[in-house]
Amino acid sequence: MSFRHGLAGSPVRLVSSRDPASIRFGDQLIAVLPRLRRFARGLAGSASDADDLVQAACERALARQHQFQEGTRFDSWMFRIVQTIWIDLVRSRDVRKEEGDMPEERLGSDEPVRRVEARLALAEVRRAVDLLPPDQRTALLLVTVEGLSYKEAAEVVQVPVGTIMSRLARARMALQAQLEAGRGVGRSRTDAEAR
Amino acid sequence: MQRLGDDRLIAYLDGELETAQRREVEAWLDADPAARQQLAALADSTHLLRLAYDEVLHEALPDRLIAAARGETIEAQAPARILPFKGRAGARTVTSNRWWIALPAAASLFGLVVGGGAVYLGIAKLLPDNVAGKRPAVEAAAANGAWLDNAAGYFKLFVNAGDNPALDVAATGDPREALQKISQSLPQEGRLPELNLKPWGLSFRGAKLVVAEGRPAAELVYTTDNKAIGPLTLIIGSSKLPNISPTFDRRQDVNLLYWRHEGRAYALVGQAEIGYLWGIANDVAWQLDAI
Repeated sequence: MSFRHGLAGSPVRLVSSRDPASIRFGDQLIAVLPRLRRFARGLAGSASDADDLVQAACERALARQHQFQEGTRFDSWMFRIVQTIWIDLVRSRDVRKEEGDMPEERLGSDEPVRRVEARLALAEVRRAVDLLPPDQRTALLLVTVEGLSYKEAAEVVQVPVGTIMSRLARARMALQAQLEAGRGVGRSRTDAEAR
Repeated sequence: MQRLGDDRLIAYLDGELETAQRREVEAWLDADPAARQQLAALADSTHLLRLAYDEVLHEALPDRLIAAARGETIEAQAPARILPFKGRAGARTVTSNRWWIALPAAASLFGLVVGGGAVYLGIAKLLPDNVAGKRPAVEAAAANGAWLDNAAGYFKLFVNAGDNPALDVAATGDPREALQKISQSLPQEGRLPELNLKPWGLSFRGAKLVVAEGRPAAELVYTTDNKAIGPLTLIIGSSKLPNISPTFDRRQDVNLLYWRHEGRAYALVGQAEIGYLWGIANDVAWQLDAI
């Protein structure tokens, strides 16, 4: 799956001419980029697809910055844009994760064995998340990883709080079952904390 | 276990229950070992899940995303835009607003205080912080602004010193040695984040005693061959003010990310893009358990 093609890794030149309000908006956007990338990584699975998703979200946010209401949470507004774009893509395509899409960093051969094991344990968690249905995955990432309240997550996804609760519960139970069926939560946690 | 029970346990774990519901769950947990076991397993998988995605926060932001956030157009195959490193010897930039020029006086004053052997008390008298809790919000904000002014000023001093920055303790073979020496003049022990590895490649040059929030602080100085990042300083001091999340600010052409955590104040200062600063700040916070 790819949202856009092209410029990652290429030398770039940046050209801009902007007013102070746009600069402030851009700074605000840059400040939340790490969290947007984390959220998008959880949704899209691969690093490049996630960054494509975030880039598309930035472009949409800039085009609609007048719609952002001061005094509301900027991160939630951006999560909503990312989620909307992703759901549109999921609905329009049969999104399949490509096999062997594990980032190179997790395959480094010069790391100590325990660190490699830890990374594999965390990769196992990410794979378990990838297996969840999109709605459950979104609820899980917003609440458990990004720390939004149920109410905030419901506003992002635009569903009732009760729906978030049930999606979250199904996601958590499925994740736990996956991890227990794999290597065991206890071992995974020990390995992961050895990082 | 009933499905409803799982819902309730998860909401309990997430802190989403009302008081009465919470008590109900706690009573259930007291009576049912299986429920306790289930809660522990859920807490475990939650912890793992957060760990699994946290590493994304420590990655450098791709240029294309920073450009997209700023609404800038990108032309491929051209040299990367690099924030100018203006302070190298022979290449000093004259700015119209020399707001930072007063800093040497402040630094000298601080040096005298240090020389007098009354570091903490001396500074505390000059800039009392023990009333911070009672300080009106506006005054606290002004004090916050002043220390950021100082942080940016100290950075400019370092940059404009070129290849011979005025450091109180220069880094030697063991970078921790400099910090240990400077820590002797601080009211608390300092720790040194390792930023020399990829993707930052920052070399620790040494440390300097400065003032942050009216208290002695360590300014750690880093340089790198990576011109997109440029020289950086990291100020670590103590603070009695409440915790705040990393917050971006700017003084002229100097970018700052500052935050407070558990009695310490941090400021990462440089001319790199905010995306780089954010990534490095995340790494610092991760290493120093400072967030």
